[in-house]
Amino acid sequence: MRRSRAEIALSSGVLALGAASAVITVQLPSEGGYAGIGPNFFPAITAGGLLVLGAWLLVEALARGWKDRSPDAPELRGEHAFHAGAFGWISAGLFVHMLMIGSAGFVLAGAVLFACVARAFDSRRFVRDACIGLVLALLVFYFFVKFLNVNLPAGWLSPILGAAGI
Amino acid sequence: MIETLGALGTGFAVALQPLNLLWGLVGVTLGTFVGVLPGVGPALTVAMLLPLTVKLEPTGALIMFAGIYYGAMFGGSTTTILLNTPGESASIATALEGNKMAKNGRAGPALATSAIGSFVAGSIATVLLTLLAPVVVEAALKFGPAEYFALMVFAFTTVSAVLGASTVRGLTSLFLGLLLGLAGIDGQTGQARFAFGVPELLDGVDVVVLAVGLFAVGEALYNGAYQSRLKETVEKMSGSIWMSKDDWKRSWKPWLRGTAFGFPFGSIPAGGAEIPTFLSYATEKKLAKNPEQFGNGAIEGVAGPEAANNASATGTLVPLLTLGIPTSATAAILLGAFQNYGLQPGPLLFQSQTELVWGLIASLYIGNVILLVLNLPLIGIWVKVLSIPRPQLYAGILVFATLGAYSLHQSWVDLLTLYLFGLLGFAMRRWDFPVGPAVIGLILGPLAETQFRRALSISQGDPSVFYTHPISACMFALTAAVLVVPWALRLWRRRGAGAP
Repeated sequence: MRRSRAEIALSSGVLALGAASAVITVQLPSEGGYAGIGPNFFPAITAGGLLVLGAWLLVEALARGWKDRSPDAPELRGEHAFHAGAFGWISAGLFVHMLMIGSAGFVLAGAVLFACVARAFDSRRFVRDACIGLVLALLVFYFFVKFLNVNLPAGWLSPILGAAGI
Repeated sequence: MIETLGALGTGFAVALQPLNLLWGLVGVTLGTFVGVLPGVGPALTVAMLLPLTVKLEPTGALIMFAGIYYGAMFGGSTTTILLNTPGESASIATALEGNKMAKNGRAGPALATSAIGSFVAGSIATVLLTLLAPVVVEAALKFGPAEYFALMVFAFTTVSAVLGASTVRGLTSLFLGLLLGLAGIDGQTGQARFAFGVPELLDGVDVVVLAVGLFAVGEALYNGAYQSRLKETVEKMSGSIWMSKDDWKRSWKPWLRGTAFGFPFGSIPAGGAEIPTFLSYATEKKLAKNPEQFGNGAIEGVAGPEAANNASATGTLVPLLTLGIPTSATAAILLGAFQNYGLQPGPLLFQSQTELVWGLIASLYIGNVILLVLNLPLIGIWVKVLSIPRPQLYAGILVFATLGAYSLHQSWVDLLTLYLFGLLGFAMRRWDFPVGPAVIGLILGPLAETQFRRALSISQGDPSVFYTHPISACMFALTAAVLVVPWALRLWRRRGAGAP
């Protein structure tokens, strides 16, 4: 039975997370709580749990593989092979959005995000999607800010949106 | 009993106020709209719409949530029947028969039986909730922190270990949630934990960011990577929405049986709606006059599981409202909504905020009616929503997702966290880690810690309090049983099979 590298990697990841949490927990003080239970008690249990579970997962992965997993071959799952383009475009869209929203505002950042995600799903009309995204983000912005008092940045559009009374 | 009716009466007086009715209507409509979207299940619907309510006053907001909750389930059923993509594992049974019915040109009756069945189940379940809640509250008043802690541990275990293929992976998901729940400032000592000096983390990880990240971003990434190039067939809306006499005859008993399965499973921490829906399906198949129709579009196979699903969802509100214990990811997010208002569901809330709690319960009845009366005739519109092309659909979902995350602190750190949770959600989906336990761990973990420390401070450091109190001891025994018995059974069966 071929061992799955992904399973081993993920198991090690959980183990590493447990170890990192344990290291951080050790630096937490144990006083301050009642009856000897300080702010480090539950972190210790959680870290310990992750270590145990990570080890168990690793043992399973090295022995016969994780129990009852859906097959690795996409065809067997009714899916297609990993489409890195889609993954990349969605991630890129979210990152650009993250960078833009503070300065350019919710509406413009939302439009760019919309276009990128649509592109991820093979929509080739970038400009059209950006326009749809712009309208959608504008409507959402208006509804949420005007009626529900949610705090969203207007960014570069603030002169226009401000003039419209938002 | 008279008190209960009186309280319910007060509740109706609150829920029937025009403004609250409006909120209920808005909730039902929004919930259905978002619930119809493929890939968006009830948990994600509630999570995405939660930021909407941040500035509203509690009663109206929670009534809106009740509407969203039911609307999301109705919308999800519509998608399951027409698109064969169950939004959650509890919908798999519906998908089996419902989609076949749609393929046979009987989409209308399938949708109708699903809607009416959900109405019947929801109404009966709400009555049961009304009757059961005061009883549980009475019992819960005798609960101390030790009992609550034991109950929470039991809930953790059933949620992560009972279902799903792998107990280990379920528990890993739970502990991830617990770890995330620890991030922030410790309530009892003011000590910052796992915050790394980042101010957004000092506030703790928000359940909305986690849920939306795992469900929306994770789903988008997964679908894009593995499913975007698959052809999707949306069944046309066909057949009359009005069921024939034969359809009615074949549906009404499954509705009742489905409710009987769904409510008990929903109201105990038994891990969700998968069990009752599958039980209902199997039962209906056994009891049906024409069992060979199953697999080819038997209406009983839609009526029963849909009723079970809805009854179970209402049942989930029993432990949530009376004990403050969420038994599903959706319930965990609803708990988050309560916490946003500084409200802690439980027996004390029943006593101190009678109008709010009973107003909420009354609005469940009303929401059910609104749902049936409004949505069934409007089904044509909801079906149109399904024809939104996938690229624009996911684009829109993600714009909404970022809205929720950003509106918390107006900080890009929350957007980064959202993306990281998206990666986590992708990995969990790809390598079969259940996602629900992580969300429940996030919300319930801190509460469990508080109860644990309180129990020990009352007993002055004596840990025996957990096994000397009878209720607490019982719960721990049950927890151990849940963990050990299935494994022991498997071992015993294997030994038995190998014996000469």
